[in-house]
Amino acid sequence: MAIVNLKDKTIQIKIVYYGPGRSGKTTNIEFIHNKLQQNKNQQISNLVSIDTKGDRTLFFDFFPVSLGKINGFDLKLKLYTTPGQVKYEATRRLVLKGVDGLVFVADSLTSRQDANLESFENLKSNLLYHKQSLSDVKLIFQWNKRDIDEKMIPLSPIEEMERLLNSELKVQSFPASATSGMNVLKTVNYISKETVKSVIEKTILNKHKMGN
Amino acid sequence: MNTVIREDTVTKVEKILQDFIEESGATYALITDMGGNPLFTAGEEDFDVDTLAALSAANYATTKEIANLIKEDNFSLLFHRGNNENVHFAKITQDILMIVLFKPFLSLGLLRLKINSLQQKIVSIIGN
Repeated sequence: MAIVNLKDKTIQIKIVYYGPGRSGKTTNIEFIHNKLQQNKNQQISNLVSIDTKGDRTLFFDFFPVSLGKINGFDLKLKLYTTPGQVKYEATRRLVLKGVDGLVFVADSLTSRQDANLESFENLKSNLLYHKQSLSDVKLIFQWNKRDIDEKMIPLSPIEEMERLLNSELKVQSFPASATSGMNVLKTVNYISKETVKSVIEKTILNKHKMGN
Repeated sequence: MNTVIREDTVTKVEKILQDFIEESGATYALITDMGGNPLFTAGEEDFDVDTLAALSAANYATTKEIANLIKEDNFSLLFHRGNNENVHFAKITQDILMIVLFKPFLSLGLLRLKINSLQQKIVSIIGN
């Protein structure tokens, strides 16, 4: 649920990276954070990670980023990841509260296609928990780990992943490598732009004002 | 559903929060939605407000889930005591949470009474 504040002239938008365990959600967000930190002209908040003692996300990773102005409004994007492991269902569901845009990070390894599908079904049921459906949010797919040498580990062809997850929705997708950064920024730029556009359209067409 | 907050609503609620800070001696007050977006603030801060809102909403939601798990409606008190700063969380409406930072020498009971009366004033402005 985006928040438009008419006094401070701000728009807040929540983007969540969703997907099965070890698909690269945290690596995506870490790459974006590192890139933004390199820009000396921009003040960037710390990346907050609530994880296990190892490297697995327990609750979420989070950081806010300012995207500049649009129509005189300061745009603030909140980037979150969810825990991918099946056992963290309760916390995963909580992170989806108020989501505006979703990046589904799918694992390209052939052996992980069932996990992709299971996680995608799980996403739909968790959105339902918040009385939302995929049509209420902006969604894009990222086919991650495309840099892996196929001679070493078999990868599913992109066409096959499209057929499995995106044949009905036909939304934008990007092949990517979160470790090398390939298409990571392209993914976040695209989802941000599309979500902002949709929020602006919705707030103009359907104003739900807070206050009597 | 997106929420547009009118200018006069922000002014009214933030005035109430500022008065509360002056009367109670609390350090900082933040009202956030349950999705972790800050809505209204008052007081001085030297931390990232977006991060406080995100973590507080998550903390509150987690505690509520624990309550459900052990068949409690909710816990009546959500409060963390620190050496230099305490933090108190209170649900204002189904979708809105209030976070108050205050020094350990202040009375928690008195503060909670003030927060209760504040709650009604805020609901009368923003609705349920």
